Amino acid sequence: MQLPSFEYLRPATLREGLDWLSEPGTDTAVVAGGSDLLVNMKLGLVTPKRLVSICDLPGMQDVTEDADGGLRIGAGCKLTDLLQHETVTGNYPALADAIRAVGSQHVRNMGTLGGNLCLPTRCWYTNQSEQWRESRQPCFKTDGELCHVIKSSARCHSLNSSDTAPALIALGASVTLASRDGTRELPVADLYFDDGVDYMTMRPGEILTEIHLPPPTGVSAFIKVAQRNGLDYAAGTIAGWFDGAAARLVLGSIGSHPVSLPKAADLVVAGGLGTKTIDAAADAARADLGEVSNLFSPPGYKRRLARSLVRRVLEQLADLQGGGK
Amino acid sequence: MSRQIINLTVNGDRHEIAVAPNQTLLEVLRDELGLSGTKRGCTSGACGVCTVQQEDGRAVLSCLALAVEWDGRAVTTIEGIAEPGQLHPVQAAFLEYGAVQCGFCTPGLIMTAKALLDTDPTPDEAAINEAMAGAICRCTGHIKVKIAIREAVQQALREREPDAAPT
Ligand code: FES
Ligand code: FES
Repeated sequence: MQLPSFEYLRPATLREGLDWLSEPGTDTAVVAGGSDLLVNMKLGLVTPKRLVSICDLPGMQDVTEDADGGLRIGAGCKLTDLLQHETVTGNYPALADAIRAVGSQHVRNMGTLGGNLCLPTRCWYTNQSEQWRESRQPCFKTDGELCHVIKSSARCHSLNSSDTAPALIALGASVTLASRDGTRELPVADLYFDDGVDYMTMRPGEILTEIHLPPPTGVSAFIKVAQRNGLDYAAGTIAGWFDGAAARLVLGSIGSHPVSLPKAADLVVAGGLGTKTIDAAADAARADLGEVSNLFSPPGYKRRLARSLVRRVLEQLADLQGGGK
Repeated sequence: MSRQIINLTVNGDRHEIAVAPNQTLLEVLRDELGLSGTKRGCTSGACGVCTVQQEDGRAVLSCLALAVEWDGRAVTTIEGIAEPGQLHPVQAAFLEYGAVQCGFCTPGLIMTAKALLDTDPTPDEAAINEAMAGAICRCTGHIKVKIAIREAVQQALREREPDAAPT
Protein backbone atom coordinates (compact mmCIF):
# COMPACT_ATOMS: atom_id res chain seq x y z
CA MET A 1 0.00 0.00 0.00
CA GLN A 2 1.24 3.46 -0.85
CA LEU A 3 0.70 6.71 0.91
CA PRO A 4 -1.50 9.25 -0.83
CA SER A 5 0.30 12.50 -1.53
CA PHE A 6 0.52 15.24 1.05
CA GLU A 7 2.73 18.12 2.03
CA TYR A 8 5.12 17.56 4.94
CA LEU A 9 5.81 20.40 7.35
CA ARG A 10 8.31 20.53 10.16
CA PRO A 11 7.70 23.52 12.42
CA ALA A 12 10.61 25.06 14.33
CA THR A 13 8.39 26.10 17.21
CA LEU A 14 5.11 24.95 18.70
CA ARG A 15 3.63 28.31 17.76
CA GLU A 16 4.49 27.74 14.10
CA GLY A 17 2.96 24.27 14.24
CA LEU A 18 -0.23 25.62 15.81
CA ASP A 19 -0.43 28.34 13.16
CA TRP A 20 -0.13 25.80 10.36
CA LEU A 21 -2.62 23.48 12.01
CA SER A 22 -5.29 26.13 12.21
CA GLU A 23 -4.87 27.60 8.74
CA PRO A 24 -8.41 27.30 7.39
CA GLY A 25 -9.16 25.02 4.47
CA THR A 26 -5.79 23.26 4.55
CA ASP A 27 -6.84 19.86 5.94
CA THR A 28 -3.80 19.56 8.19
CA ALA A 29 -3.09 16.68 10.58
CA VAL A 30 -0.52 16.29 13.32
CA VAL A 31 1.98 13.45 13.10
CA ALA A 32 4.26 12.26 15.89
CA GLY A 33 5.68 8.72 15.54
CA GLY A 34 3.47 7.96 12.57
CA SER A 35 3.09 4.26 13.36
CA ASP A 36 -0.70 4.50 13.37
CA LEU A 37 -1.51 7.58 11.29
CA LEU A 38 0.46 6.38 8.27
CA VAL A 39 -1.37 3.03 8.31
CA ASN A 40 -4.73 4.78 8.30
CA MET A 41 -3.55 7.07 5.50
CA LYS A 42 -2.48 4.05 3.46
CA LEU A 43 -5.91 2.54 4.02
CA GLY A 44 -7.45 5.80 2.81
CA LEU A 45 -9.31 6.23 6.10
CA VAL A 46 -7.85 9.67 6.62
CA THR A 47 -6.47 11.78 3.81
CA PRO A 48 -4.92 14.94 5.24
CA LYS A 49 -3.37 17.22 2.65
CA ARG A 50 -0.67 18.40 5.04
CA LEU A 51 1.17 16.77 7.93
CA VAL A 52 2.71 18.82 10.70
CA SER A 53 5.41 16.81 12.45
CA ILE A 54 5.73 17.61 16.14
CA CYS A 55 8.28 15.09 17.43
CA ASP A 56 11.29 17.37 17.08
CA LEU A 57 9.69 20.36 18.75
CA PRO A 58 11.54 21.62 21.80
CA GLY A 59 10.45 19.80 24.96
CA MET A 60 8.36 17.19 23.15
CA GLN A 61 10.76 14.40 24.13
CA ASP A 62 11.47 15.57 27.68
CA VAL A 63 10.65 13.73 30.88
CA THR A 64 10.87 15.99 33.91
CA GLU A 65 10.04 15.56 37.56
CA ASP A 66 7.67 18.16 38.92
CA ALA A 67 8.23 20.21 42.06
CA ASP A 68 5.20 18.48 43.58
CA GLY A 69 6.68 15.02 42.91
CA GLY A 70 4.66 14.33 39.78
CA LEU A 71 6.04 13.61 36.34
CA ARG A 72 5.76 15.55 33.08
CA ILE A 73 6.18 13.55 29.88
CA GLY A 74 6.52 15.23 26.50
CA ALA A 75 3.88 13.89 24.12
CA GLY A 76 6.59 13.03 21.57
CA CYS A 77 8.47 10.67 23.89
CA LYS A 78 8.98 7.32 22.23
CA LEU A 79 7.37 4.47 24.14
CA THR A 80 10.64 2.53 24.33
CA ASP A 81 12.44 5.55 25.79
CA LEU A 82 9.86 5.85 28.55
CA LEU A 83 10.58 2.28 29.64
CA GLN A 84 14.20 3.32 30.28
CA HIS A 85 13.07 5.84 32.87
CA GLU A 86 13.30 4.47 36.38
CA THR A 87 10.66 6.99 37.48
CA VAL A 88 8.15 5.56 35.00
CA THR A 89 8.82 1.87 35.59
CA GLY A 90 9.33 2.20 39.34
CA ASN A 91 6.60 4.66 40.30
CA TYR A 92 3.88 4.03 37.73
CA PRO A 93 3.82 0.28 37.05
CA ALA A 94 0.37 0.45 35.41
CA LEU A 95 1.73 2.87 32.81
CA ALA A 96 4.91 0.85 32.27
CA ASP A 97 2.95 -2.36 31.70
CA ALA A 98 0.52 -0.56 29.40
CA ILE A 99 3.44 0.75 27.35
CA ARG A 100 4.95 -2.75 27.14
CA ALA A 101 1.59 -3.95 25.81
CA VAL A 102 1.53 -1.55 22.86
CA GLY A 103 2.14 -3.11 19.44
CA SER A 104 5.52 -4.76 19.03
CA GLN A 105 9.04 -3.73 20.00
CA HIS A 106 9.33 -2.16 16.54
CA VAL A 107 6.16 -0.16 17.03
CA ARG A 108 7.19 0.96 20.53
CA ASN A 109 10.52 2.11 19.08
CA MET A 110 8.61 4.42 16.71
CA GLY A 111 5.37 5.27 18.48
CA THR A 112 4.91 8.01 21.07
CA LEU A 113 2.87 8.32 24.24
CA GLY A 114 0.92 11.27 22.86
CA GLY A 115 0.22 9.30 19.69
CA ASN A 116 -1.07 6.32 21.64
CA LEU A 117 -3.45 8.58 23.57
CA CYS A 118 -4.76 9.98 20.29
CA LEU A 119 -5.10 6.55 18.69
CA PRO A 120 -8.04 6.56 16.30
CA THR A 121 -10.89 4.19 17.14
CA ARG A 122 -10.99 1.09 14.98
CA CYS A 123 -13.54 -1.27 13.57
CA TRP A 124 -13.56 -4.62 11.81
CA TYR A 125 -15.53 -3.07 8.93
CA THR A 126 -13.56 0.10 8.30
CA ASN A 127 -9.93 -0.61 9.18
CA GLN A 128 -9.53 -2.55 5.96
CA SER A 129 -8.34 -1.79 2.45
CA GLU A 130 -10.38 0.52 0.27
CA GLN A 131 -11.40 -2.40 -1.95
CA TRP A 132 -12.63 -4.33 1.11
CA ARG A 133 -14.63 -1.36 2.28
CA GLU A 134 -16.14 -0.81 -1.16
CA SER A 135 -17.94 -4.14 -0.91
CA ARG A 136 -20.22 -2.63 1.72
CA GLN A 137 -22.27 0.48 2.13
CA PRO A 138 -20.43 3.41 3.66
CA CYS A 139 -20.86 3.71 7.44
CA PHE A 140 -20.63 6.63 9.86
CA LYS A 141 -16.86 6.46 9.69
CA THR A 142 -16.79 6.62 5.92
CA ASP A 143 -19.37 9.38 5.47
CA GLY A 144 -22.35 7.01 5.47
CA GLU A 145 -25.38 6.88 7.70
CA LEU A 146 -25.21 3.52 9.44
CA CYS A 147 -23.09 1.40 11.74
CA HIS A 148 -22.28 -2.10 10.44
CA VAL A 149 -21.70 -3.32 13.97
CA ILE A 150 -25.11 -2.36 15.36
CA LYS A 151 -27.39 -1.73 12.41
CA SER A 152 -30.01 0.11 14.44
CA SER A 153 -27.45 2.37 16.09
CA ALA A 154 -27.46 6.13 15.67
CA ARG A 155 -23.73 6.29 16.27
CA CYS A 156 -20.46 4.58 15.37
CA HIS A 157 -19.34 1.81 17.70
CA SER A 158 -15.68 1.44 16.73
CA LEU A 159 -13.38 0.68 19.62
CA ASN A 160 -10.85 2.82 21.40
CA SER A 161 -7.89 0.44 21.65
CA SER A 162 -5.31 2.68 23.26
CA ASP A 163 -3.43 0.62 25.85
CA THR A 164 -2.01 3.60 27.68
CA ALA A 165 -5.27 5.58 28.04
CA PRO A 166 -6.84 3.30 30.70
CA ALA A 167 -3.55 3.25 32.63
CA LEU A 168 -3.19 7.03 32.59
CA ILE A 169 -6.83 7.50 33.63
CA ALA A 170 -6.41 5.06 36.51
CA LEU A 171 -3.28 6.91 37.59
CA GLY A 172 -5.15 10.21 37.56
CA ALA A 173 -3.07 11.75 34.78
CA SER A 174 -3.93 14.85 32.80
CA VAL A 175 -2.75 16.29 29.51
CA THR A 176 -1.80 19.73 28.29
CA LEU A 177 -3.55 20.82 25.12
CA ALA A 178 -2.01 23.74 23.31
CA SER A 179 -3.81 25.97 20.85
CA ARG A 180 -3.26 29.42 19.42
CA ASP A 181 -5.36 30.78 22.30
CA GLY A 182 -3.11 29.30 24.94
CA THR A 183 -3.04 26.02 26.80
CA ARG A 184 -5.50 24.08 28.89
CA GLU A 185 -5.10 21.14 31.21
CA LEU A 186 -7.55 18.25 30.90
CA PRO A 187 -7.81 15.00 32.87
CA VAL A 188 -7.15 12.06 30.53
CA ALA A 189 -10.53 10.76 31.73
CA ASP A 190 -12.15 13.73 29.96
CA LEU A 191 -10.23 13.31 26.73
CA TYR A 192 -12.67 10.89 25.10
CA PHE A 193 -16.27 10.84 23.89
CA ASP A 194 -18.21 7.59 23.80
CA ASP A 195 -18.51 7.83 20.02
CA GLY A 196 -16.50 5.99 17.38
CA VAL A 197 -16.38 8.93 14.94
CA ASP A 198 -16.12 11.87 17.30
CA TYR A 199 -13.88 10.08 19.80
CA MET A 200 -11.73 12.85 21.21
CA THR A 201 -12.73 15.96 23.07
CA MET A 202 -9.73 17.84 21.68
CA ARG A 203 -10.80 20.84 19.66
CA PRO A 204 -9.68 21.54 16.10
CA GLY A 205 -6.35 23.36 16.18
CA GLU A 206 -5.22 21.79 19.45
CA ILE A 207 -2.03 19.80 19.93
CA LEU A 208 -1.49 17.45 22.85
CA THR A 209 1.92 18.51 24.12
CA GLU A 210 2.40 16.94 27.51
CA ILE A 211 1.17 14.21 29.85
CA HIS A 212 1.21 15.02 33.55
CA LEU A 213 1.25 12.29 36.18
CA PRO A 214 0.41 13.16 39.78
CA PRO A 215 2.90 12.19 42.51
CA PRO A 216 2.94 8.40 42.82
CA THR A 217 0.75 7.02 45.59
CA GLY A 218 -0.76 3.63 46.33
CA VAL A 219 -0.46 0.64 44.02
CA SER A 220 -1.28 0.29 40.33
CA ALA A 221 -1.46 -2.48 37.75
CA PHE A 222 -2.41 -3.06 34.11
CA ILE A 223 -3.51 -6.24 32.33
CA LYS A 224 -4.07 -6.86 28.63
CA VAL A 225 -5.85 -9.85 27.19
CA ALA A 226 -5.37 -10.45 23.48
CA GLN A 227 -5.44 -13.40 21.12
CA ARG A 228 -1.67 -13.39 21.02
CA ASN A 229 0.88 -11.82 23.32
CA GLY A 230 2.75 -9.68 20.83
CA LEU A 231 1.61 -7.15 18.27
CA ASP A 232 -2.11 -7.50 18.73
CA TYR A 233 -5.00 -5.31 19.65
CA ALA A 234 -6.57 -6.22 22.96
CA ALA A 235 -9.77 -8.15 23.48
CA GLY A 236 -9.85 -6.10 26.65
CA THR A 237 -7.52 -4.29 29.02
CA ILE A 238 -7.85 -3.05 32.57
CA ALA A 239 -5.90 -0.62 34.67
CA GLY A 240 -6.37 -0.33 38.42
CA TRP A 241 -5.10 2.03 41.10
CA PHE A 242 -5.77 2.06 44.84
CA ASP A 243 -4.21 4.10 47.64
CA GLY A 244 -6.39 3.05 50.56
CA ALA A 245 -8.63 6.11 50.36
CA ALA A 246 -9.52 6.19 46.67
CA ALA A 247 -9.58 3.70 43.80
CA ARG A 248 -9.93 3.79 40.04
CA LEU A 249 -10.65 0.92 37.67
CA VAL A 250 -10.69 1.53 33.91
CA LEU A 251 -11.38 -0.90 31.09
CA GLY A 252 -9.91 -0.40 27.64
CA SER A 253 -10.66 -1.84 24.17
CA ILE A 254 -14.22 -2.68 25.25
CA GLY A 255 -16.06 0.38 23.93
CA SER A 256 -15.57 3.57 21.98
CA HIS A 257 -13.92 5.16 25.00
CA PRO A 258 -12.04 3.87 28.06
CA VAL A 259 -14.75 2.73 30.47
CA SER A 260 -14.42 3.71 34.12
CA LEU A 261 -15.97 1.37 36.70
CA PRO A 262 -17.03 3.62 39.59
CA LYS A 263 -19.30 1.10 41.34
CA ALA A 264 -16.56 -1.53 41.46
CA ALA A 265 -14.04 1.09 42.62
CA ASP A 266 -16.37 2.33 45.37
CA LEU A 267 -16.67 -1.21 46.73
CA VAL A 268 -12.88 -1.41 46.94
CA VAL A 269 -12.66 1.93 48.74
CA ALA A 270 -15.27 0.77 51.26
CA GLY A 271 -14.10 -2.81 51.70
CA GLY A 272 -10.42 -2.98 50.73
CA LEU A 273 -8.90 -5.80 48.70
CA GLY A 274 -10.13 -8.92 50.49
CA THR A 275 -11.55 -11.81 48.47
CA LYS A 276 -15.16 -10.98 49.34
CA THR A 277 -14.80 -7.40 48.14
CA ILE A 278 -13.00 -8.53 45.01
CA ASP A 279 -15.89 -10.89 44.23
CA ALA A 280 -18.42 -8.12 44.76
CA ALA A 281 -16.41 -5.64 42.67
CA ALA A 282 -16.11 -8.14 39.81
CA ASP A 283 -19.89 -8.57 39.85
CA ALA A 284 -20.42 -4.81 40.02
CA ALA A 285 -18.25 -4.32 36.94
CA ARG A 286 -20.93 -5.95 34.83
CA ALA A 287 -23.41 -3.34 35.98
CA ASP A 288 -20.87 -0.54 35.45
CA LEU A 289 -20.23 -1.70 31.92
CA GLY A 290 -23.66 -0.93 30.50
CA GLU A 291 -24.35 -1.69 26.86
CA VAL A 292 -21.55 -3.36 24.90
CA SER A 293 -21.35 -4.12 21.19
CA ASN A 294 -20.48 -7.33 19.39
CA LEU A 295 -17.51 -5.70 17.63
CA PHE A 296 -14.52 -8.12 17.55
CA SER A 297 -16.12 -10.31 20.24
CA PRO A 298 -19.67 -11.13 21.44
CA PRO A 299 -21.20 -8.98 24.20
CA GLY A 300 -21.45 -11.98 26.53
CA TYR A 301 -17.74 -12.56 26.18
CA LYS A 302 -16.96 -8.90 26.83
CA ARG A 303 -19.01 -8.93 30.04
CA ARG A 304 -17.36 -12.10 31.32
CA LEU A 305 -13.97 -10.70 30.33
CA ALA A 306 -14.66 -7.44 32.18
CA ARG A 307 -15.56 -9.38 35.29
CA SER A 308 -12.45 -11.51 35.15
CA LEU A 309 -10.20 -8.53 34.38
CA VAL A 310 -11.54 -6.70 37.45
CA ARG A 311 -10.87 -9.77 39.56
CA ARG A 312 -7.37 -10.22 38.19
CA VAL A 313 -6.31 -6.60 38.51
CA LEU A 314 -7.65 -6.35 42.07
CA GLU A 315 -5.82 -9.55 43.02
CA GLN A 316 -2.64 -8.00 41.62
CA LEU A 317 -3.23 -4.82 43.60
CA ALA A 318 -3.79 -6.92 46.73
CA ASP A 319 -0.48 -8.73 46.12
CA LEU A 320 1.29 -5.43 45.62
CA GLN A 321 -0.22 -4.08 48.79
CA GLY A 322 1.33 -6.98 50.62
CA GLY A 323 -1.30 -9.65 51.01
CA GLY A 324 -4.43 -7.56 51.47
CA LYS A 325 -7.18 -8.72 53.78
CA MET B 1 3.96 17.31 -4.29
CA SER B 2 7.40 18.80 -4.48
CA ARG B 3 10.40 16.63 -3.83
CA GLN B 4 12.95 17.39 -1.20
CA ILE B 5 16.62 16.49 -1.10
CA ILE B 6 17.60 14.36 1.86
CA ASN B 7 20.98 13.21 3.07
CA LEU B 8 20.69 9.61 4.08
CA THR B 9 23.50 7.34 5.20
CA VAL B 10 22.81 3.72 4.36
CA ASN B 11 25.21 1.11 5.70
CA GLY B 12 27.87 3.80 6.01
CA ASP B 13 27.41 5.20 2.50
CA ARG B 14 26.07 8.72 2.15
CA HIS B 15 23.35 9.32 -0.40
CA GLU B 16 21.75 12.53 -1.59
CA ILE B 17 18.29 11.60 -2.77
CA ALA B 18 15.27 13.59 -3.90
CA VAL B 19 12.23 12.16 -2.16
CA ALA B 20 8.54 12.95 -2.19
CA PRO B 21 6.84 13.55 1.19
CA ASN B 22 4.75 10.42 0.77
CA GLN B 23 7.70 8.12 0.09
CA THR B 24 8.56 5.72 2.87
CA LEU B 25 12.07 4.76 3.86
CA LEU B 26 11.25 1.29 2.53
CA GLU B 27 10.40 2.66 -0.91
CA VAL B 28 13.57 4.74 -0.98
CA LEU B 29 15.77 1.80 0.02
CA ARG B 30 14.24 -0.60 -2.47
CA ASP B 31 13.13 1.54 -5.38
CA GLU B 32 15.63 4.42 -5.35
CA LEU B 33 18.74 2.70 -4.00
CA GLY B 34 18.09 -0.81 -5.30
CA LEU B 35 18.60 -2.35 -1.87
CA SER B 36 15.95 -5.03 -2.16
CA GLY B 37 17.11 -7.07 0.84
CA THR B 38 14.62 -5.13 2.97
CA LYS B 39 11.29 -6.70 2.06
CA ARG B 40 7.95 -5.15 1.28
CA GLY B 41 5.27 -7.13 3.11
CA CYS B 42 2.13 -5.85 4.76
CA THR B 43 3.37 -2.25 4.50
CA SER B 44 1.27 -1.50 7.55
CA GLY B 45 3.43 -2.36 10.54
CA ALA B 46 2.05 -5.82 11.11
CA CYS B 47 4.78 -8.18 9.91
CA GLY B 48 8.28 -6.79 10.43
CA VAL B 49 9.79 -7.90 7.11
CA CYS B 50 10.78 -4.30 6.41
CA THR B 51 12.82 -4.00 9.65
CA VAL B 52 15.96 -1.85 9.57
CA GLN B 53 18.13 -0.48 12.36
CA GLN B 54 18.33 3.16 13.32
CA GLU B 55 21.46 4.85 14.73
CA ASP B 56 21.01 3.58 18.28
CA GLY B 57 20.59 0.03 17.03
CA ARG B 58 16.86 -0.15 17.60
CA ALA B 59 14.67 -1.98 15.13
CA VAL B 60 12.24 0.21 13.21
CA LEU B 61 9.76 -0.47 10.43
CA SER B 62 10.83 1.17 7.19
CA CYS B 63 7.31 0.83 5.77
CA LEU B 64 6.02 3.28 8.41
CA ALA B 65 8.94 5.71 8.30
CA LEU B 66 8.68 8.80 6.13
CA ALA B 67 11.86 9.24 4.12
CA VAL B 68 11.75 13.03 4.66
CA GLU B 69 12.10 12.37 8.39
CA TRP B 70 15.37 10.54 7.73
CA ASP B 71 17.20 13.58 6.43
CA GLY B 72 20.61 13.64 8.10
CA ARG B 73 20.14 10.22 9.62
CA ALA B 74 21.74 6.80 9.22
CA VAL B 75 20.16 3.42 8.68
CA THR B 76 21.52 -0.12 8.63
CA THR B 77 19.88 -2.66 6.35
CA ILE B 78 20.39 -6.39 5.93
CA GLU B 79 22.95 -5.61 3.19
CA GLY B 80 25.16 -3.82 5.69
CA ILE B 81 25.39 -6.13 8.69
CA ALA B 82 28.50 -8.02 7.56
CA GLU B 83 31.47 -7.48 5.26
CA PRO B 84 30.89 -8.66 1.67
CA GLY B 85 31.28 -12.42 1.52
CA GLN B 86 30.96 -12.71 5.29
CA LEU B 87 28.01 -13.61 7.49
CA HIS B 88 26.82 -11.86 10.62
CA PRO B 89 26.67 -14.34 13.53
CA VAL B 90 22.86 -14.23 13.46
CA GLN B 91 22.90 -15.02 9.74
CA ALA B 92 25.33 -17.87 10.35
CA ALA B 93 23.08 -19.27 13.06
CA PHE B 94 19.98 -19.04 10.85
CA LEU B 95 21.87 -21.01 8.19
CA GLU B 96 23.24 -23.55 10.63
CA TYR B 97 19.90 -24.30 12.31
CA GLY B 98 17.68 -24.19 9.24
CA ALA B 99 15.72 -21.16 10.38
CA VAL B 100 14.85 -20.29 6.80
CA GLN B 101 12.03 -21.72 4.73
CA CYS B 102 10.93 -19.58 1.77
CA GLY B 103 13.20 -16.83 3.07
CA PHE B 104 10.87 -13.90 2.61
CA CYS B 105 10.77 -12.96 6.29
CA THR B 106 14.44 -13.77 6.87
CA PRO B 107 15.96 -10.29 6.44
CA GLY B 108 13.37 -8.80 8.78
CA LEU B 109 13.79 -11.54 11.35
CA ILE B 110 17.58 -11.26 11.22
CA MET B 111 17.49 -7.48 11.57
CA THR B 112 15.07 -7.80 14.48
CA ALA B 113 17.24 -10.40 16.18
CA LYS B 114 20.39 -8.37 15.55
CA ALA B 115 18.72 -5.28 17.02
CA LEU B 116 17.89 -7.31 20.12
CA LEU B 117 21.41 -8.67 20.53
CA ASP B 118 22.96 -5.26 19.92
CA THR B 119 21.06 -3.83 22.88
CA ASP B 120 20.93 -6.98 25.05
CA PRO B 121 23.68 -9.50 24.19
CA THR B 122 22.30 -12.17 26.54
CA PRO B 123 18.51 -12.04 26.25
CA ASP B 124 16.48 -14.65 28.08
CA GLU B 125 13.59 -16.56 26.54
CA ALA B 126 11.05 -13.87 27.45
CA ALA B 127 13.20 -11.09 25.99
CA ILE B 128 13.63 -13.04 22.74
CA ASN B 129 9.88 -13.61 22.50
CA GLU B 130 9.13 -9.97 23.18
CA ALA B 131 11.61 -8.64 20.66
CA MET B 132 10.63 -11.09 17.93
CA ALA B 133 6.87 -10.72 18.37
CA GLY B 134 6.65 -8.04 15.70
CA ALA B 135 8.54 -10.05 13.06
CA ILE B 136 6.40 -12.74 11.57
CA CYS B 137 7.36 -15.72 9.43
CA ARG B 138 4.67 -16.56 6.88
CA CYS B 139 6.01 -20.11 6.73
CA THR B 140 5.53 -20.20 10.54
CA GLY B 141 9.05 -21.41 11.23
CA HIS B 142 9.40 -19.65 14.53
CA ILE B 143 10.81 -22.53 16.58
CA LYS B 144 13.94 -22.87 14.50
CA VAL B 145 14.30 -19.10 14.46
CA LYS B 146 14.34 -19.10 18.22
CA ILE B 147 16.81 -21.96 18.34
CA ALA B 148 19.07 -20.04 15.97
CA ILE B 149 18.89 -16.87 18.06
CA ARG B 150 19.61 -18.78 21.25
CA GLU B 151 22.59 -20.41 19.55
CA ALA B 152 23.88 -17.07 18.30
CA VAL B 153 23.78 -15.88 21.92
CA GLN B 154 25.65 -18.97 23.12
CA GLN B 155 28.20 -18.64 20.34
CA ALA B 156 28.89 -15.03 21.28
CA LEU B 157 29.28 -16.06 24.92
CA ARG B 158 31.70 -18.83 23.99
CA GLU B 159 33.77 -16.41 21.96
CA ARG B 160 33.88 -13.90 24.78
CA GLU B 161 34.61 -16.30 27.63
CA PRO B 162 35.70 -19.60 26.13
CA ASP B 163 35.60 -21.48 29.45
CA ALA B 164 32.64 -19.96 31.24
CA ALA B 165 29.82 -20.32 28.73
CA PRO B 166 27.44 -23.22 29.20
CA THR B 167 27.22 -25.45 26.17
S1 FES C 1 6.12 -4.43 5.60
FE1 FES C 1 6.59 -3.17 7.29
S2 FES C 1 5.72 -4.28 8.92
FE2 FES C 1 5.07 -5.47 7.22
S1 FES D 1 10.61 -18.40 5.79
FE1 FES D 1 8.85 -18.03 4.59
S2 FES D 1 8.08 -16.28 5.55
FE2 FES D 1 9.48 -16.96 6.95
